Amino acid sequence: MILLLQYTLLFASVLTLVALGGCFSEHSGVINLGLEGIMVMGALGGALTLKYISPSTPKFLIIVSVMLVAIAVGMVYSMLLAFACINFKADQTLIGTALNILATALASIIAKSINVAEDPNNVSSTVQYVATKKALVVNFGSFQFNWFMLVAVLALIASYVVLYKTKFGLRLMACGEHPQAADSVGINVYTMRWAGVLISGLLAGLGGIVYITAGVGEWKFENGVAGFGFLALAVMIFGQWKPVNIGLAALLFGFFRALSNVYSGFDFLTTLNIPGSVYNMMPYIISLIVLAFTSANSRAPKAEGIPYDKGSR
Amino acid sequence: MAENTQYAIEMLNITKRFPGIVANDNVTIQLKKGEIHALLGENGAGKSTLMSVLFGLYQAEEGIIKKDGKEVKINNPNDANDLGIGMVHQHFKLVQCFTVLDNIILGVETTKCGLLKKDEARKKVLALSEKYGLKVDPDAKIEDITVGMQQRTEILKMLYRDNDILIFDEPTAVLTPAEIDELMEIMKNLSKEGKSILFISHKLAEIMSVADRCSVLRRGKYIGTVDIADTTQEELSRMMVGRDVQLVASKEDKTPGDVILHVENMTVPSKLHKNNAVKNVSFDVRAGEIVCIAGIDGNGQTELVYGLSGLENISSGKITLKGKDITTASIRERSTSGMSHIPEDRHKHGLVLDYSLAYNLVLQRYFEPEFSNKGFLKKDAILDYANKLIDRFDVRSGQGATTIARSMSGGNQQKAIIARELDKNPDLLIAVQPTRGLDVGAIEFIHKELIAQRDAGHGVLLVSLELEEVMSISDRILVMYEGEIVGEFNPKEVTTEELGLYMAGAKRKEIGA
Amino acid sequence: MSANKNTNTPKKSFLANSAVQSFLASIVCIVIGLLIGYIVLLLINSKGANDAILSILKNFLNYSSPATAKKYFGNTLVKAAPLLMCALSIQFCYQTGLFNIGAAGQYVAGAGACLFCALSFKLPWYLCLLAAIIAGGIFGIIVGFLKAYLNVNEVISGIMLNWMGLYSVNMLLAKVKETASPYTMTLASTNKAAIIPSLGLEKLFSNNKYVTIAIPLALIVAIVLKIVLSKTVFGYEIKATGLSKDAAKYSGMKEKKNIILTLFIGGALAGAGAAFLYLTGYEQWEVTQSSVPSMGFNGIAATFLGGLDPIGTIFASYFIQHITSGGAHLDKQIYPAQIADLISSIIIYLCGFAFIVKFIVNRKLNEKVSKLGYPPENKDNKDENEEGGKKE
Repeated sequence: MILLLQYTLLFASVLTLVALGGCFSEHSGVINLGLEGIMVMGALGGALTLKYISPSTPKFLIIVSVMLVAIAVGMVYSMLLAFACINFKADQTLIGTALNILATALASIIAKSINVAEDPNNVSSTVQYVATKKALVVNFGSFQFNWFMLVAVLALIASYVVLYKTKFGLRLMACGEHPQAADSVGINVYTMRWAGVLISGLLAGLGGIVYITAGVGEWKFENGVAGFGFLALAVMIFGQWKPVNIGLAALLFGFFRALSNVYSGFDFLTTLNIPGSVYNMMPYIISLIVLAFTSANSRAPKAEGIPYDKGSR
Repeated sequence: MAENTQYAIEMLNITKRFPGIVANDNVTIQLKKGEIHALLGENGAGKSTLMSVLFGLYQAEEGIIKKDGKEVKINNPNDANDLGIGMVHQHFKLVQCFTVLDNIILGVETTKCGLLKKDEARKKVLALSEKYGLKVDPDAKIEDITVGMQQRTEILKMLYRDNDILIFDEPTAVLTPAEIDELMEIMKNLSKEGKSILFISHKLAEIMSVADRCSVLRRGKYIGTVDIADTTQEELSRMMVGRDVQLVASKEDKTPGDVILHVENMTVPSKLHKNNAVKNVSFDVRAGEIVCIAGIDGNGQTELVYGLSGLENISSGKITLKGKDITTASIRERSTSGMSHIPEDRHKHGLVLDYSLAYNLVLQRYFEPEFSNKGFLKKDAILDYANKLIDRFDVRSGQGATTIARSMSGGNQQKAIIARELDKNPDLLIAVQPTRGLDVGAIEFIHKELIAQRDAGHGVLLVSLELEEVMSISDRILVMYEGEIVGEFNPKEVTTEELGLYMAGAKRKEIGA
Repeated sequence: MSANKNTNTPKKSFLANSAVQSFLASIVCIVIGLLIGYIVLLLINSKGANDAILSILKNFLNYSSPATAKKYFGNTLVKAAPLLMCALSIQFCYQTGLFNIGAAGQYVAGAGACLFCALSFKLPWYLCLLAAIIAGGIFGIIVGFLKAYLNVNEVISGIMLNWMGLYSVNMLLAKVKETASPYTMTLASTNKAAIIPSLGLEKLFSNNKYVTIAIPLALIVAIVLKIVLSKTVFGYEIKATGLSKDAAKYSGMKEKKNIILTLFIGGALAGAGAAFLYLTGYEQWEVTQSSVPSMGFNGIAATFLGGLDPIGTIFASYFIQHITSGGAHLDKQIYPAQIADLISSIIIYLCGFAFIVKFIVNRKLNEKVSKLGYPPENKDNKDENEEGGKKE
């Protein structure tokens, strides 16, 4: 039971972070379908940091450096989307999809190259970080607290404040709702959209490393992050683009995702004798159902997905 | 005399080119301090372009701008704002889901420790609203307030920024007559307080009532500037169009025939709010008459037409076309039963903009045996037909029938739609603001075609926001206010003032369908 | 005045031809994609990079014996056929304005259906193919229904269905797997009738038994789609729906029906694509696989590289499969095979720019035209457009 709670909170943290990322991007007017790919790249950056950092480094430093690298990589990678979609007005769906495929390919190539350089017979794309991963958690009895849970809560509070209480948030949302209005009062729509996408890169990169460190001490990068970036988008839609609702939606989705990890630990679930694949499918089924009920009356930012062209006013 | 006057803003010899056209050709406008200066011209005369240059949205290729006699460069709206230039755009630049206050402070927010500080802003807004009589609720969301209040929000936006040069771009188009009077009063107040105002319009009466001077543009060229005190509407009109215009369409009296369209207790739900957009409306359209639905924008006319054409389902009521019940008929069935529809939004509904003109001209008929055979399109037949319509309706375009609709001018796009809808030879023609945004020549043409439809014994239902148009071509006028028909009139027996009262909800009478 | 008098016919630049533009844009995407792939190879190991990029490009030509090369050319074609089908699926849906990323899942559903029918019910190949078409089509219909009636973004629902498809097919095919391995039983040992006939085609490819009529069938499908899109009433409708949903509705087209129908066809194409591969016996399904087969995603690259035209897509699909197969010739001890995926994803990314580049080229060309002088009538019309544009 505690394990279920632990995994629920962990996966909810991931979903919160990434969905908030999507939320910033969409409030600025850019649909970021590349979240999945950004997660993979952030995860790779974080995983490599964990791999190479000495386990004797102070825990705090390990956590901070892992986060910083994941964030940096996520932001850099998200620039590819910002550049194409904001400056060149490219199709946001196409670019997002390209980034997802590219991330998995690139991450596999990097992981494999590193493995092959260390041992020519190891052609897998797995990165291991068993020792240093311990720095991320604190045990309270059988409950394993992960510092990233705290990070997610802080990110949630910060997002709420930034979006609703600051000048930046007001301007960002204006760009996603009515970019011409924002432009007419001297707000640079391109800059704000870049900011929105970069913040989504920051949060999704962070979400990536949280996701892969949720389980055992290694990750096979050929698998990417198994659609988690898209689950986060579903969380964002279910949360109606509002941070607090996103947090709640993430808990719900996190629960079902956690179930697929720990169902074998529950006697009454194992006696039902449902194949593991069914539990694996759960989060996707739930999100599809949720989307079916929430998409019709969505309060999506009005100008999202529409490239802004200064000339057209 | 002019040499001694201090000008607030001078735009000297401005030339602005777009690919293929010269939008402003050596235009000079001088705005005196504290005056209301009207800028008059037809659609497409280059007024909006000129103002966009002044507001920093475009940069002119030639010419200079002077503020208080000093040359300035305006590269973006920020520069304009720094110079104290503010603009109420024709289409409000307001974020719908923000409050009035948020919209006013957007871009010039005051903060403390990085957090927004709205209290001071609220005080300033309330003070300004008091001073100039601009009534608003700072905490209401834009999507919930009236168009008039939205416009007041736009004016407050300028005042909040301490702008002293105010540009009003066609501000009266969306207002009721009462709101227009109120706006005129506000503008006079503002000029009394020392604000200099540029007022863009093509409505002569308004210019005569509020402006001190008027500059006229025609086809991108500067025609001249006159003192309002020394001129007449007729002279302004001549300057604007370059010839005398006959604005009243000529048509013979005709007795209407059988009922073509019969609408009984129709109710259409609104997409914007919980109320019904059209409430229990009943009326008839007979053969050989033009029935006009008059009213201010947003009083249910759009939804009424959506309900009639089938674009939206009606929640109750009955519609019959030539005695046939079409209440639940599909859009296609209505079209093939003799209904034509010139839609309000030609870009959204009327055309597939990336299709060729020929493809667009068969948009309602491509499935008929004339144009298709066993599921295959007859391309030659479509082209021949398109060329026939292009000739008959004088639709002009770069590459004839193969031109992509998007690349055509607005007037010719509209002509194409009209050609398509009229050639169906409909029993009932529904035309929604068919002349919007068009120049005088095109308007005359369209009016003539509508009257021809009537004379041929068809029924015409015209939805218009322009009272002048309503008065000149309709046989019967129905006024819509908040989703209801509040009055029925014979254009010969009613004045525009009277209609205005009904349109604004000040008067109403019960009518039987 | 007749329209013809007004017709403005300056000499059309060679570059103004849209097909030429698409072709050039695709070539540029390929060249840059390969260049970046080459740079990555250089970064991994600069010594072998030249050989590596060449072996990707040479693919089957890496074999010096013409007979072997022909055989492997056959293999590339065997995999290019399903890729083409996935690409056509995405392409067809894109005409209606839908991004069918769910093609990957529809492909999976098709694979599951055809293999289960072949191995469990022992049905002949054409019935297995039909099952794949229906299974893929149903997956497409779900996406279409959600989009048309519940406004669910087709990309997100497509991704969700991809994963649901993968896990269900793994479960389903676990019933017909070999006892000692995670792979499904071979068609050759279980049900020969389920193998798509070759009608002698294999002789052209050094008796490569996987070369079947699936390849010409895929080509025929591409040509049929080209005809459907450009010459039929149905094509007229779905393109109109894709270009302007509102105008399509206004003209009385059943846009919801068209969305669902298009996605059904898209799903059926992807499902058939899977049958075109798995019913040749070339591959067995691995029931423990934990990622969605990349065929559907590579289809995106092929369709955009092909300039969104069915005929262009034929060549683009072949090219993408050519370098993907070529990736297998890399020395795995040095270079990961994902280089090919990398190149194709970069090509997709660049295709995003191709549209805007084409747009800019066209605008430049138009400016040139306008300097030659527009007829005066057009002048103020254009201006009106400027203002009219703002009104919408």
